Formats: sequence, C-alpha cells, structure tokens
Amino acid sequence: SAGAPKPLPSSGPKSLREMPHPLATSSSEEMGPALTPSPDLLLPRSIADKDLSLPNGTPVDTSSPASSSSLLNRLQLDDDLDGETRDLFVTVDDPKKHVCTMETYITYRVTTKTTRAEFDLPEYSVRRRYQDFDWLRNKLEESQPTHLIPPLPEKFVVKGVVDRFSEEFVETRRKALDKFLKRITDHPVLSFNEHFNVFLTAKDLNVYKKQGMALLSKVGESVKYVTGGYKLRSRPLEFAAIGEYLDTFSLKLGTIDRIAQRIIKEQLEYLVELREYGPVYSTWGGLEIELSEPLEGVSACIGNCCTALEELGEDMTDDFLPVLREYILYSESMKNVLKKRDQVQAEYEAKLEAVALKKEDRPKVPTDVEKCQDRAECFNADLKADMERWQNNKRQDFRQLLMGMADKNIQYYEKCLTAWESIIPLLQDKPETK
Amino acid sequence: RAVESQSEGQCAPVDSLWRRYSEFELLRNYLSVTYPHIVVPPLPEKRADFVWHKLSADNMDPDFVERRRIGLENFLLRVASHPVLCEDKIFYSFLTQEGGWKEMVSETGFQLKADSRLKALNATFRVKNPDKRFTELKHYSDELQSVISHLLRVRARVADRLYGVYKVHGNYGRVFSEWSAIEKEMGDGLQSAGHHMDVYAASIDDILEEEEHYADQLKEYLFYAEALRAVCRKHELMQYDLEMAAQDLTSKKQQCEELATGTVRTFSLKGMTSKLFGQETTEQREAKIKVLEEQIQEGEEQLKSKNLEGRDFVKSAWADIERFKEQKNHDLKEALISYAVMQISMCKKGIQVWTNAKECFSKM
Repeated sequence: SAGAPKPLPSSGPKSLREMPHPLATSSSEEMGPALTPSPDLLLPRSIADKDLSLPNGTPVDTSSPASSSSLLNRLQLDDDLDGETRDLFVTVDDPKKHVCTMETYITYRVTTKTTRAEFDLPEYSVRRRYQDFDWLRNKLEESQPTHLIPPLPEKFVVKGVVDRFSEEFVETRRKALDKFLKRITDHPVLSFNEHFNVFLTAKDLNVYKKQGMALLSKVGESVKYVTGGYKLRSRPLEFAAIGEYLDTFSLKLGTIDRIAQRIIKEQLEYLVELREYGPVYSTWGGLEIELSEPLEGVSACIGNCCTALEELGEDMTDDFLPVLREYILYSESMKNVLKKRDQVQAEYEAKLEAVALKKEDRPKVPTDVEKCQDRAECFNADLKADMERWQNNKRQDFRQLLMGMADKNIQYYEKCLTAWESIIPLLQDKPETK
Repeated sequence: RAVESQSEGQCAPVDSLWRRYSEFELLRNYLSVTYPHIVVPPLPEKRADFVWHKLSADNMDPDFVERRRIGLENFLLRVASHPVLCEDKIFYSFLTQEGGWKEMVSETGFQLKADSRLKALNATFRVKNPDKRFTELKHYSDELQSVISHLLRVRARVADRLYGVYKVHGNYGRVFSEWSAIEKEMGDGLQSAGHHMDVYAASIDDILEEEEHYADQLKEYLFYAEALRAVCRKHELMQYDLEMAAQDLTSKKQQCEELATGTVRTFSLKGMTSKLFGQETTEQREAKIKVLEEQIQEGEEQLKSKNLEGRDFVKSAWADIERFKEQKNHDLKEALISYAVMQISMCKKGIQVWTNAKECFSKM
C-alpha cells in the first residue's frame, strides 16, 4: 500500500537499536501486523541522512523513535556499533574440568546478555566445550561463506609437551574463545546467525547438532557456493591487493613469532645463569663478617630480578604468542575466503561467456547467470566490508598487543630497578665501630 | 716484545718512563721476598681470563691492553699508598730510574732470600703449633679464592646470555620496518618502534663494557687472596723452621746427656753399632760431647732469635693483615655499590627504550 506507514508499536522509550530489525525473519509479538516496508521506502543507504518527505508529500517527523526516518536508519546494514548502542554482550569464563569414564575435558561458561528480539530471554548462561566452538565455527563457515570468520585457538596440542589442564593453558584458551565470540558479536551479519543464536542459548547443544539440516532456515542459508574448476581470468585489483597483503602480513607475523620465541628462549637461558649467580654472593656473605649483609643483599636482589624475569617470560608466552598465532590462522582462513571469491567470479564469467557464445536470440540474460552475477557481487561487497572492518580491528588489536608487550617489559625493568635501588642504602651503611 | 705499559713517577725527577710487564713482575717478586709479612698488592692478570664470548681472549686486544694498563697503574698506587712499601728504595727507583734498574734489583740479592721453591710450595709439612689466626686466615683465603673464581665464571656466563637477549631484539627492528611497508595507518608507529628496538639491541655493548671494570675489581681481590696465603705460608714456614730447630736442639741435648751418663734411653743406630763394634774411647766421647755442647749453645741462640723473629713476624704481619682487611671491606663495598649503580642505570635505560617504543605503538 502507498499510504502512510503505521508507526511501529512501542512499549515505551527504547533506543533505536532495540527495535526489531524490520528485515528479521523471527516472529516477535511486537511486530504486530506484518509490516512490509513498501518499495518506496527501500532507499539506498546514502539518502537516509537527508531530510525526507513521504511519497505523498507529508513531511517526515524525525524526532520520535517510531518515525519513518528511524526506520530508514535501521535499514542501514552497515552500522557502527558503539558501546552505547550495543545490544548483545557475550562472555566466556569459569573453566571447569569434567572427569568422565571415557574422557576428561574442560567446559567454559558462556554468558549472554541481550535485548535483541531474536533471543527469547534477556540473559543466558550455558556451558560449552572446545568441540562446541569448533562446531559453531564450521557452521558459520558453511552458512556465511562470503564473510570472514574469526579464528579459534589451535585445536590440537602435543600431549606430552603441553599440559591441556594446566591453569595457564586453560586461561590462554579461555581468552581466545572469549575473543572469538566477541568478534562474532561485533559482526553485523554473523551476530544474527541462527547457529550462533543456538550456541548461545541451547541448554543441550548436542540435540541441536543432531537435528542438523532440519533447522536450516529458508532464505539463503543453503546456498552452498559449490563451485569448482573454473579458471579465473583476472582478479580485480583490490582483491589481488588484499591477497598480496595477506601473504606478506602472515609472513611478517611468522617472523615476529619466531623472534619472540627466540627471545623467550634466550631469557630463559639468562635466567638459568642468574639463578646460579645470586647464591654465590650469599656463599661469599657467609665467609665474610662486615660484608655479609651487603653481599646477602645483592644475592636477594638478584633473586628478585630472577622472579621478575620469570614473570616476563610467562606473560609473553601466555599473552603475546597466542594472539600472534591467532592472527596467522586468521590470515590463512581469509585467504581461503578469497579463493572462494575467485571461484564465484570465475563461475560467473564462465557461464556468461558460455551464453555469449550461443546465438543471441533471447533478450534477457538467463536467470542462472543472473544468479551467478548476484552471488559474485554480494560476495565482493560482503568481503570488502569485512576487510575494512578487519583492517580496523587488526590495527586496534595489534596496537593493544604491542603496547602490552612494551608494558610487560617496562614492568620487568621497574621491578628490577626497585630491587637495586632499595639495596643502595644497605650497601652504603656504615657498620657500628666495634 | 712490545712495550706494554707506561708508568708515571710520583715526585720524581724523571716524570715518566717505560716499563715492561716483566719488570712489574720483578718488582713484585722483590717486594714479596723482602717484606714477607706484608700482604703485597697483586698484579693484574697476565692473560685474559674469565672472558665471556664477545670479549677476545687475545692479549693484544686493545680493550684488554687498556684494562691491563689500568690494573698496573692501580698496582703502583697500592704500593705507593702502603705505609711500609712506599718507603722502599727499589720501588722508588722503579718509578724514577730509567736504566740499570734491573741490575739494581739483582744487586740486592733478594733471590737468595727467597724461600726455596720446594719449601714454600710444600703445603704438606706439618706444623705442630701454628698461630690459630693464621690457620684461619689461610682457610679464609682459600675460600675467598674459590668463591670469587666461581663468581667471576658465572658472571661471564650471565654477561654472555644477556648479550644474546639484547641482540635478538634487533631483529624486531628489521621485521617491523618490513611490516610497516605494507601498512597504512600502522606503518609509522611500527617503523619508529623498530628504531627503538635497534637502540635497545645496541645498548648492551656499553653496559657490558662497564661491567668489566667491576669484574676487574673482583679479580684484584681474587689475586689478593694469593698474597694473603703467601703471608700465612711464610708464618707456617717460620714456625716449622722453629719447631725443627727446637726438635733438633732437644735431640742434641739428649745425645749429649746420653754420652755423658752412658745411658742409652732411646734407640739409635750409633748405639747399636757401638754395642756391636765396641764402645768408643773416653777421649772420643769427650770430644763428641764438646762438639755437641758447642752446637747446643749455638742452637739455643738460634732458637732464641728464631723465636724472636717469629713473634715479630706475627706481630707485624697481623698489623698489616688488619690494615688489609679494612681496605678490602671498604673496596668491596665500593665495588658492590658501583655494581648496583650500573644495574640501576641499565634498568633505567630499559624503561626508557620500552616507554619510547610503547609510545610509538600507541600511535598506530
């Protein structure tokens, strides 16, 4: 109908983002009679900011949340979520060990707080194990192949070398899993994914996993970009650039990983020597009378430096290296998405060419070629948007990571400085004349 | 051999002249023999020892030569500031007389006074009644030598490892630079942080060079331990001499008595042979007694003077040892303080560099 759109039912002042997304397929009571935005209102994003009047000339009231321009604003798919308008919060914490007859494993508590209509309740608390996260990631890759899916921490650990149940390992993993879910939460498309929803809410995820195909929703999800064997003629410049960037990027990260590991190793060897060095001063102190206090002091001081160095090594191992490795995994999965994109484009171009070679007696391009074109264009758009987002997040993540590394080193030197400064008065102390 | 060092005279007509390391050694040997009750300052090491891998063990290395020069200067200062040694004429000539000094030293004939090598090094002779303080002191000097050697060895390994840690950070400089080339907004921050990593890596050279001075201070006392032991051994030697002389006197007195009274109290080969081959005539016996009595008198005088010598030695040696102890406590305390100051400086530099890097990262 071309009449004035009915104002959206509202149960009180709410922030814009709390209003259900008009294009969401869930059936919330708040929606009332099915509201289908008329074609007139499906305006391209760039116009949404300007002053508007409705097709029948009525000026648009932009003040109340229920007005049409707010509807337009909500049609913007590319929204930047800042802290105030965020409507979904997810945390991973509270690791617990489960000992069963068949196996021992760790579960983590996943807490969700939300006002989104896609969720029945405002709060959820479920327990998930690594397998479940892995399942989620696979489902996301399947159902959102045009998007960049964040990486998970490494799945396999060499049993003899790493203790899967040590506090440090579990904590490192927890942080990585938390980051994984937060990245999905921040993504405007992935965060609305149905599998993600179930992951956050289902009491028993295994039941859902078994149901498998039965719960796949209607639109778009079963689109499997099953392409194969098409050769790409030319890659668009920007995607070629992304590919090259990712190659160099992951190379450099690999180098940094090796350097960081080498530093940790060298510091460990330094620590070994220091651990022998300190006690010799103590031995000497036992030999002397007047010098025993100063010598003991130096010995204790070196001991403090040893502790500080140990802490630095642990911090770098637990906090720095895993994030670095995460980004290397991220780059790898992103390169795979780029390959898929190439495949989609190649398929489209191949089919287009096949049609062009046939005698042109049809005015319109056949629908399946049109579908290919859509697919290719959607893919490019999604990927481009995700890349921009990724670049920005990457910059922030590395800024934080490297500042953290610098901080840890500063703290190490400050601890040592305190130790040595505190010993100066002890060394300068004049003993009482006997 | 090339000339290795230069010494400066103090209040001397000739201001400076050239001396070889071997001449320093000669001087020290002379002083050790001439003043056995003094803890004679040691020379710096002849060959580079306790080196960590970056330092060369090459004696011609300019850094080593410079450190040895400082060590030799220090030796002369020590001697010059010693209340007894500074008066020595040979020392004075060493500083002032260019030619003929070596001849002057040999003219003193000090080599003859030197205890025979065998006696001096033989630690297994048993002294019955040494002064307990010297026994303890010898034990202390052994322990001191052992602990300082250990300390210097581990310190060298610590320096080695620390060097490695700092230098690896230099690799960050290179990779950050390479990485910054593909970044837009992050590029500048990465690049400038990389520069600070290079600064960090380079800073270790000066830090460890400074630490070598601390090591040299410890080395001096490592070698001082040897000088201390020498004084203790001298006492032992004198005491042993004394005990041997006393023992000899006692046995001679006994012999005399036996000859006079005709009783044989102890078994002796002479006694046996005289029993087997007949006794001596009275004249022979009386001649022997006379000789013995002369020897006994000599022996008693010698014993007296040896006793006196011994007591004098103990007194003057212990005085110098007390002086040495105070010097040692003062010097080592100073060395520890300067070491702590070096560590503090190193920490501050570290904080500075990482703070700079952090700021660069914050601008990413």
